[in-house]
Amino acid sequence: MSRKVMLVLFLVAAIALVPALSNVKAQSRTVVTWFVGIGTGSQPAQIEVQNRVVEKFNASQNEIELKINIAASFETAYDVLATLIASGDAPDIVGPVGFLGANSFADAWLDLTPYVEKYNYDLKQFPESLVNLYRTEEGLVGIPFAVFPSLIFYNKDLFDEAELPYPPAEFGKPYVLNGEEREWNWDTLADLATELTVDVNGLTPNDPGFDPNQIRQFGFIHQWALMRAELTTFGGHPVYDPEQGKVVIPDYWREKFRWLHDGLWKRHFIPNATYEGSELLQPSAFASGNVAMARVPLWYTCCIGDLKSNWDLAVVPSYKGQYHVPTDADTFRLTKASKNPDAAFKVLMYLLGEAAPELLLTYGGYPARPDLQEAATKLRQEAFPSVTNWSIVPASLAYAASPHHESFFPNFSKGIQRFADFRSQLYGDTGKTMDLEAEINKLEADLQAIVAEALR
Amino acid sequence: MTSVPTPLRVEQVTTLRPRRQMSIYAQQRLWGWLFLSPWLIGFFVFTFVPIVASLIFSFTDFTLTRPDQINFVGLNNWIKLFNDPLALNALRVTFGFALISLPIAIALPVLLASLLNSKYLIGKPFFRLLFYLPYMVPAISSIFIWQAFLNGQTGWLNRLLRLIGIAEPPNWLGHEFWIGPAMVLIGVWGVGNAMLITLATLQGVPQELYDAAKVDGAGAVAAFFKITLPMISPVIFYNLILTVIGLLQYFVVPYVLTRGTGNPNGAAYFFNMHLYRTAFLFQDMGYGATMAWFIFIIAIVLTIILFATSRRWVYYAGGE
Repeated sequence: MSRKVMLVLFLVAAIALVPALSNVKAQSRTVVTWFVGIGTGSQPAQIEVQNRVVEKFNASQNEIELKINIAASFETAYDVLATLIASGDAPDIVGPVGFLGANSFADAWLDLTPYVEKYNYDLKQFPESLVNLYRTEEGLVGIPFAVFPSLIFYNKDLFDEAELPYPPAEFGKPYVLNGEEREWNWDTLADLATELTVDVNGLTPNDPGFDPNQIRQFGFIHQWALMRAELTTFGGHPVYDPEQGKVVIPDYWREKFRWLHDGLWKRHFIPNATYEGSELLQPSAFASGNVAMARVPLWYTCCIGDLKSNWDLAVVPSYKGQYHVPTDADTFRLTKASKNPDAAFKVLMYLLGEAAPELLLTYGGYPARPDLQEAATKLRQEAFPSVTNWSIVPASLAYAASPHHESFFPNFSKGIQRFADFRSQLYGDTGKTMDLEAEINKLEADLQAIVAEALR
Repeated sequence: MTSVPTPLRVEQVTTLRPRRQMSIYAQQRLWGWLFLSPWLIGFFVFTFVPIVASLIFSFTDFTLTRPDQINFVGLNNWIKLFNDPLALNALRVTFGFALISLPIAIALPVLLASLLNSKYLIGKPFFRLLFYLPYMVPAISSIFIWQAFLNGQTGWLNRLLRLIGIAEPPNWLGHEFWIGPAMVLIGVWGVGNAMLITLATLQGVPQELYDAAKVDGAGAVAAFFKITLPMISPVIFYNLILTVIGLLQYFVVPYVLTRGTGNPNGAAYFFNMHLYRTAFLFQDMGYGATMAWFIFIIAIVLTIILFATSRRWVYYAGGE
């Protein structure tokens, strides 16, 4: 019988050895791991493309074995990556990831400067403003890949129905509202949006008898937005000023808060949280066909497919004569914990180079590389025939708001959660009766405490 | 030259026999351990070690993304917990919700099971299926369904209320007063399992007891309180323990319903949401582990209290 026990043990050991033996081939190459999930990249169609990109890379050379690890979902990806780092098994490459995801893992990213110099990687091909987004105290922590400027998506049918002209497709162009030529700024947008908001009786908020509890069409929404992105449309701000050593909510952000509060609760052209969650605005507010204008980054083209109406793009309005375009930017980052940074950088060059067109297409990203932009625009023209104003996309990059709306400050995750809580309060029923100034002051004080906690 | 084998002496046989018996026993034990080992190893690695680790973490400033910078902080996390206004508010929300939810979660299954056990009810299998069916729906799906049902603008519940003349029905998910009852309502949907267990117990109550009570002149109400309730009290006790622990772990419904914010005004910010945020969003694993142990201790204390009181009101028919 003891032989049988030995046999069982032997079998168990043999089974355990199988994966190890299958790795023999991989061991002869330098293994580079690529983690996907804390940005886009976990949709089935994207997984297929990413796997193909990995296969192509592995077939193209014998030096590096690229292995991809795609999180089951965006929701779980943060925990998975944190666990990988904690267990000493950090991936070499992470991405695509925006600033929000990357800042949640502050201090985790490798300075690419030595590798850029070693391999003479051409950074001059990108606008300097884009490269600078990735320069931190740690060094150059990323290379521009995909950019998503904010745009005004507008529903042509709703404008036609209201007999209103479309919003401007060029920066600096005015808007004619009710025969009056006006600067295309946030006040003009508010007036226009009010005229495009309609209740069940066909009345607008300007009409007596308008029923805010039975609105059937809204004028405007900051869709799927972070609070800081909404605020940044009035100007960028770093949240925490290390020189002054304190958190300040600037006056222009306070003004944006008031603008939002008016739009939500006094003029009713922005849907509140209850409306946003209602059947009226599904599958998403703008795609429902019941919102006339939405400020959303370009990545929204991912999910607009089922909008039956005609739509087009307009420029983001100005604030006090200046344009501030919140711009999302995704790229791949190398981790400090990478055991093979040199090989990982070679993979990075492949992802940003040869594989870029295919990846950008599946991620819905606009290329940071100018040589790829024309082809990307062409693809979008084919996919969305109603859109004529694609030229706004590259033009918007010149007005990218700075500091970035996802820029880092101490205790980042806790701080952005506090902003999210404020947004939930403002957009929820509590917003209707909130003492806005007192709540803004409380937000400022809370953020100060959050930052101080990290600096202690 | 051939050697003749020496026959075994009696004493040799007797000394060999026990050895062989021990050997079989040892082998059986070995095989037993071998078959148990996957579970035991799994329990040790994935349950016992994390439990011990979390206790150790609660005395450190362990952060997931900076595991190398771990420091022993003594009781700091515990002191922080008792001075954390968010934690205290979350605890208040959790217990406030439990006070409303617990009596309903205990009484409703008994009531439904009693109805389903009634000899006057027609179509019992249909109703049994109807009440149990929601329990089979995955939690996340059912929460999304409820979210649409309870929406203040286009939800069916408010449409119905408007139809019957309530012009301004409550904004169930948007108002700090109404979100609690809304979550209780969602919880009611999941009583199917408790109802089924109670029903099975009810069906096991001997008919003779009711017959004897009837002879003694007891009515339906008296029979329910004097016979039915004592006879099913072990199951009520079982449901009570599970519900109390479940309420202390309440997380999925408010998290999905409020998209992780716990708003309006923190009215749905339960203790476990604070724990989750701290440990996984803010990656403060040390403080998160402290919170986990704190709620675990509360659960243990409540369970002990309930077991202590059970001697007074739980009746075990087969017991002493």
